[in-house]
Order: sequence, then C-alpha cells, then structure tokens
Amino acid sequence: MLIQNQTIAEGSKLICPRCGHVLYKQKHNTISKSLAYTLTALICFYPAVTEPIMILNMAGLSQQQSLLQGARVLLQEQYYLVAILTFLSSMVVPLIRLLLLFYVTFSLSINYFHINMLWSFRLYHHMEEWGMLDVYMLGIIVSVVKLLSMAEIYPGFGLWAYAGLLLSSILATTALNPHEVWDALVKQKNTRGD
Amino acid sequence: MATPVTGKQADLVMCNECHTIHHNVPAVDLQCSCCGAELHQRIPNSINRTWALLLTSVILFIPANAMTIMNVAYLGKDDPSTIMGGVIILLQFGSYAVALVVFIASVVVPLFKMMGILMILLSLRYSINISDTQRIRMFRFIEFIGRWSMLDIFVISILAALVNISGVAVITAGPAATAFGAVVVLTMLAANTFDTRLLWDYKDNSVNNDVNNDEKNN
Repeated sequence: MLIQNQTIAEGSKLICPRCGHVLYKQKHNTISKSLAYTLTALICFYPAVTEPIMILNMAGLSQQQSLLQGARVLLQEQYYLVAILTFLSSMVVPLIRLLLLFYVTFSLSINYFHINMLWSFRLYHHMEEWGMLDVYMLGIIVSVVKLLSMAEIYPGFGLWAYAGLLLSSILATTALNPHEVWDALVKQKNTRGD
Repeated sequence: MATPVTGKQADLVMCNECHTIHHNVPAVDLQCSCCGAELHQRIPNSINRTWALLLTSVILFIPANAMTIMNVAYLGKDDPSTIMGGVIILLQFGSYAVALVVFIASVVVPLFKMMGILMILLSLRYSINISDTQRIRMFRFIEFIGRWSMLDIFVISILAALVNISGVAVITAGPAATAFGAVVVLTMLAANTFDTRLLWDYKDNSVNNDVNNDEKNN
C-alpha cells in the first residue's frame, strides 16, 4: 500500500494503516552508538567461543567444553547437519554479521566509502534471522536444567563472555536505524559519483 | 482516502533490501539504483516455492518426531528418547517451566508454523476471505518464532559435547536430530520465500468493493 512520506517527531513511529507494520521509527545518531556496541560484541566473541561454557562434575570426573570443541565433537560423531547448523547459527553467522556491521558503521563514521558497503549492509540484513545467539543461550539454560539431576554444573568463563556477546549484539542491532544507514550510504555514493 | 492504492497499481516497485521506491521499471533484469539488489514487483514463483519447502518440511517432521533424537547412556544403560520423550523426562524431574519451553519450541512452534503457512497458502489458492490483518499478524508471528525451534538442536549439541565421560555417562545425538534440524531450516526458508504482498493482490484484483471495511484511514 502506498503511503505519503511524512515527517514525524523524534521518538515516534509511523504505522501502516493497512497491516499494522511499523514503517519508520524516528531515531538519530544511531550509527556511532551501534558502532560502540558492535566493538564490545567483537571483543566478547573470542573468549565466548574458546573458553569453556560449563564445567561438569560427575562421579569424581570433571569435564569442560567450549563452543568450538562442542561443534568438533558433533562432527566426530558424524552428525554433520546438526554440527554445521550449530556452528553456523551460533558462531559463524553472528561473527560475520558483527564484522559487516563494524565495517559499515566504522567506515561511515570516518567518512570512508566503498561500493561494497552497499552489499555488506544488505548481507547483514539477510543474515538477521540466521544468527541465533539468543536461542543458543536458552539452549544452554535448558541443558543445565537437564543435567542438574545427574551431575554438578559450574558456569565457565565462556558463559559470561557469551552473555556479554549476546547482550551487546542485540543492542547493536536495536540501536541502529537502518534508514539512517541507507541515507548515509546513498549520500556518499552520490557525492562520489558512481 | 477511501481506497488504498498499492505500489503495483501505481507502477511502483519497492526494493526489498533498502526500501527505495522505483517508478516505471522494465519487467526483467533490474537492479536497485540505490543498493544494487535485484528488483521484483513480487518474489518470482513465491507461492510454488513456498509450497515445495512446506511439503518437504511436513514429510521430514514425521521422522523428526518418531525417531530417537538423543541417547543417554548412563552407567552403561542406554536410554534413547524422542522429542516428546525428552519433554516427559523434564516433567518427571519437576522442571515444569523448562518442560513447557521445550514443548513449545520443539512441538508447538513447528506445528503452528507449518499449519499457519498451509492456511495462508490455501486461503490464497481458494480465495478464502480471512481477515487480512489477522493473516498478516499470523505470518509475522510465524516469521518471528521460527528460529526458536532450533532450541532442541542446540540443547542436543551442548549435551552431546559436554557429557562425554566414557563408562559413566555419554550423550549422543540421534537420527531425528538431523531431520528436525532440516524441518526448522526448511520452514524458515518457506516463510522467507513467501511474498506477503501477495496477500493483498487477490483483493485488489477482485471486483468486489468492500475495500473500505478495514480499520484504517489516516
């Protein structure tokens, strides 16, 4: 449905009268805010995947596992689809999205422009629902509950890093106003004349 | 504004990626001048593709529920369980909240998703007039909850990786895990390929003049 473009006040939003979808939310200066959260998330990423998430004590034996080791164990057990799905949606996609977002927001804030920033930002949006950090976090909680009956569980350092990663990447996404990014990108593209 | 005009009627095409609006575009091979994405008035073959993905996921849903999703070998004793079996075990432990979360994520959500998409497709095919706002709300809900079905897959991968003390306790994934993972991915793809703008097309093409019954106009 076609709707006349309207200027709206800061903090308010425009809703489609036909289907109730939010068309536009007025938020400004979101790029630098998002950049800060993205950096935080990138810093958390490395410990989150390499440090152990949980430490398990059972019958006097102790075991701990990080995200990366977990994916490798599944591969060894030859559950390829499950291993690849987990690996992609809990590590690779979130990392790529953070890197793309960092690239676009950082370049925009230092006034740098390259034509590949357009598809970078597109790709970032395409991957949105395939990054499943939040679902994985719930998965960790459910696993802990399942294990409580047969073993002692302690949180590892990786868990805190993972929580930080989850929180800061959610903030990076919600803080950003994509319209502002597209406007900035198009402006850059036009001034450079390609 | 009595009758809403769609972009299609006004000869406008919106870029699905960056939301730039284009006027009077030729029918084939067009790129968005803003971001370079391919432009489509409607996603090509959207309905057929959604049907194909939906049917595949319905078929895979059967082994996903019937076969073993996880095997717990505790002190030498094997204890294979299905998706529902896992929920029941949680209930026996008394963790009702977690059991409910798992039940919703791995049973209710996939079922609701497949039935919802099926309903939308059927309503388009036979031009059944369900309230538009309700239909689009249902679709958005389906899109939103889809990814949470991955929960069970993640739980299995965490447990299988962590609990691996041979002789005492070993947890391994079962064949249903693969099937279930495929169901989740396929239903997500089905929701993605479906072009929601098709929902309004049948209405704009039909001659009946009851367009003013939606609660809107501002």
